[in-house]
Amino acid sequence: MTATTTPARRTGTGRHSLARFLARRAGTSVLLLLGVVLVTFLLTVMVPGDPVRAALGEGASSNPATVAAYEEKFGLNKSVPERFVVYLGNMLSGDLGTSITTGRPVADDLAKAVPATGEVAFYAIILSLAVAVVLGTLAAYRRGKATDQVVRVVSLVGLSIPTFWMAILAYNFFFLELGWVRGSGRLSPTITPPPRITGFYTVDFLLNGDSVGFFDAVSHLALPVFVLSLFTIALLTRFIRTSVLEVLDADYARAARAKGLTGPRVVFAYVLRGAALPILTMVGIAFGTLLSGTVLVEAVFAWPGLGTYAYNAAKGLDLLAVTGVGLIIGIIYLVINFVIDVLYGLLDPRVRLS
Amino acid sequence: MARPRARAAAALIAATALALAGCSGGNSADNGGNGEGAPSTLVIDTAFSLETGDPGRNYVPTGNLVLHAVYDTLLTFTGDDTTPQPSLATMEQNEDATEFTFTLDEDRVFSDGSPVTADDVVFSLNRVAGMTDSKANFLMTGITVEKVDDTTVVLKTEQPSLQLPAIVTNPSLSILNAEEVEANGGAVDTADAAQEFLDGASAGSGPYLLDSLDLTTQVVLVENPEYNGPTPPAYDKIVVRNVTESATQLINLKGGDSNIAVDLSGDQVESLGEDFTVDSVPSAETIFLLINQNAEVAPATATPAFAEAIRYALDYDKILELAGAGAAQASGVIPPMFAGALDEGVSQDLDRAQAALAESGYAGETLKLQFPNDNPVGGVEFTPVAERVQEQLKAVGINIELAPAPFATEIDPYVNGTGAFSMWYWGPDYADTSSFLPFGPGEKVGLRAGWPAEAAPEIAAQVAAARNATSGDERTEAFTAYATAMQESGPFVPLIVPGNNVASDTSVTGLTYNPTWTLDLTALSPAE
Repeated sequence: MTATTTPARRTGTGRHSLARFLARRAGTSVLLLLGVVLVTFLLTVMVPGDPVRAALGEGASSNPATVAAYEEKFGLNKSVPERFVVYLGNMLSGDLGTSITTGRPVADDLAKAVPATGEVAFYAIILSLAVAVVLGTLAAYRRGKATDQVVRVVSLVGLSIPTFWMAILAYNFFFLELGWVRGSGRLSPTITPPPRITGFYTVDFLLNGDSVGFFDAVSHLALPVFVLSLFTIALLTRFIRTSVLEVLDADYARAARAKGLTGPRVVFAYVLRGAALPILTMVGIAFGTLLSGTVLVEAVFAWPGLGTYAYNAAKGLDLLAVTGVGLIIGIIYLVINFVIDVLYGLLDPRVRLS
Repeated sequence: MARPRARAAAALIAATALALAGCSGGNSADNGGNGEGAPSTLVIDTAFSLETGDPGRNYVPTGNLVLHAVYDTLLTFTGDDTTPQPSLATMEQNEDATEFTFTLDEDRVFSDGSPVTADDVVFSLNRVAGMTDSKANFLMTGITVEKVDDTTVVLKTEQPSLQLPAIVTNPSLSILNAEEVEANGGAVDTADAAQEFLDGASAGSGPYLLDSLDLTTQVVLVENPEYNGPTPPAYDKIVVRNVTESATQLINLKGGDSNIAVDLSGDQVESLGEDFTVDSVPSAETIFLLINQNAEVAPATATPAFAEAIRYALDYDKILELAGAGAAQASGVIPPMFAGALDEGVSQDLDRAQAALAESGYAGETLKLQFPNDNPVGGVEFTPVAERVQEQLKAVGINIELAPAPFATEIDPYVNGTGAFSMWYWGPDYADTSSFLPFGPGEKVGLRAGWPAEAAPEIAAQVAAARNATSGDERTEAFTAYATAMQESGPFVPLIVPGNNVASDTSVTGLTYNPTWTLDLTALSPAE
């Protein structure tokens, strides 16, 4: 009986603690999200400048009738608290207001911009992680040797190069000089976008069996992904190297080696598993820096994503669009943190109880 | 067992991906020619300022560029001429320049084959006049529209308005197919709901049709098979892409990814070789310094003598070095392409500057020079220009502190007239010299410089004379007198007319700058 009841009780306790842990994290995320909305909204209304004048330009802003019509249309004739209450109320039904620059629902604009950025960011983080794990582990495993030195220097260079400059340089070299990739944008001008399923062109073209579109999308995606991942690769490589070094010196790794296991087996079976948790945290942070890098990369590659939308919104004092971008970025961060917390909780039960 | 299974799974995934990719449904790409060896698709890169496909609600440069090819207006401009020419109609005016009679070409049809009638004109213009929530609404201020018969329309103004012919060339005043637009929510007041329809369809009589419009990515135009006007479409398809970085536009053009780059700087076009065609001309914009004359805003700047000191302290040739190809020294508040512009600008005269400075009572105070630092005009960045102004004024003893800020922030003090010393730019609302009268005393920009009409009644009278002129000669004379007087004693120091630099590969001909639609897409054609 004891042998059968004890594990069952353990499992029940585990499930209970995990559920409580998830509920607590989800609740915190919702509160944080509300905070993000409030702060973003307040920051946008505190910025000096008149959004109506910025949107209308010289000629139309001299026309009182148009100014009044715009203020009413975009709710800018109301007080800030009123506007915030209306915004929150509409937000619950998915309405993020109307952009004063595009005249379209912010939610619709974001629904187009987010997949464009998501596709680049997704492939970039996958590429970054794959390359950084190899380079970081290799550098740690060959600590102090030539390989380590080269990886450390290269990652330092990767961290130091301005993304915008790198993007222009890479575009000039790989597109203009070598002709290895197609031009700017998500697709060539003569290619029709695929019917939307996921919003990721590569996936949607594949699902539609369109090889011409698929390869065109890949060819446009390659360079932005490459440039965007450079900084993240450098960041993760340095971190993984440090994490792996710490685990390599741990007792259990030394014990594994003492038992006669080969170096690579120790690395894959023990060291990488041991270093997984801090690496997981760093991947979340790296994804954040990667998102901030998209503004510059998208500008160079004419990529119609969140970065481009955010830049134009901020430049045009498009308050609801800026708030919408803030909300989306906040959600992305919260989701990443939540997922990492959950993974932490799953990988290390002590976290759930703390 | 695990390894073979893993290999098999990987092979299966790869095979599925290849099979999916291999089942080429085929993209609807059109890379073919038009059957005569000429390219069927023209690709243009420009930094978008696009907001809608509805002409009546559009008032931004990219919108003008695109919609000018889709819709016709009553009058238009051809080439680089700034004299309005007949388009859908010919025009006659009365002696007082208050009544303008437009007679429509009876043969012209919309893209659905229906004829362009006076009813369409009345609806289209009254729609803009009635939509107070449209940016273009102000263009119709003071203008009434009356139908005379099926092919004749009269536009009336209370005051003489020799600028009206130029106003009706604006793509915002395009003539729409009234029946079609009304059927899709169109109205002549704020109840209008046709924008959504016009964002995805064409209701015009121009040589091209709107095939697709994405405000952030690209606009695709295709030829209008029903077009029966004077400039038939030369391309099957025109793709106008949003490429915000001019460096990317340059690489795309050099690499063959695009045929035309619209927003290159002077330095960038100078780097292009003989394999490219460059149209590099002074634009219709002017970058100028504003010296506020309101003593409550800034006692130090509030004298004509101080403005004079700044005017003659500057070395304009050295400032112009920063602007690159196509740019010119501003010869006054009216850019060179417009009637009344002065032939030459001010030359540096340090003795005169010193004398004026002594007269102004300036005591060495440090003045802030405010300017937008995120909004280059014609490729001219404001920060280096401001630095050069600072350096040159320092040489005559005027101390300047640079105070750059984003456009959206900086525009408030400029428009509200609370900036003491600032650098801004001005472009015409429509391609007519009257667009530069706002610099006058008591006018919009004049008041921003703390310069009411009573501060310079003689120049205010010149503004009125220029505005109310009823003949071309009388008008040009009045504008020249106004520009001269402004150069003598106005609170503005015009610096640079930035260049407009458009470059194409050699497959394209017909690049010509126009201040309203920048580039006339209907005039572009394959090189022979």
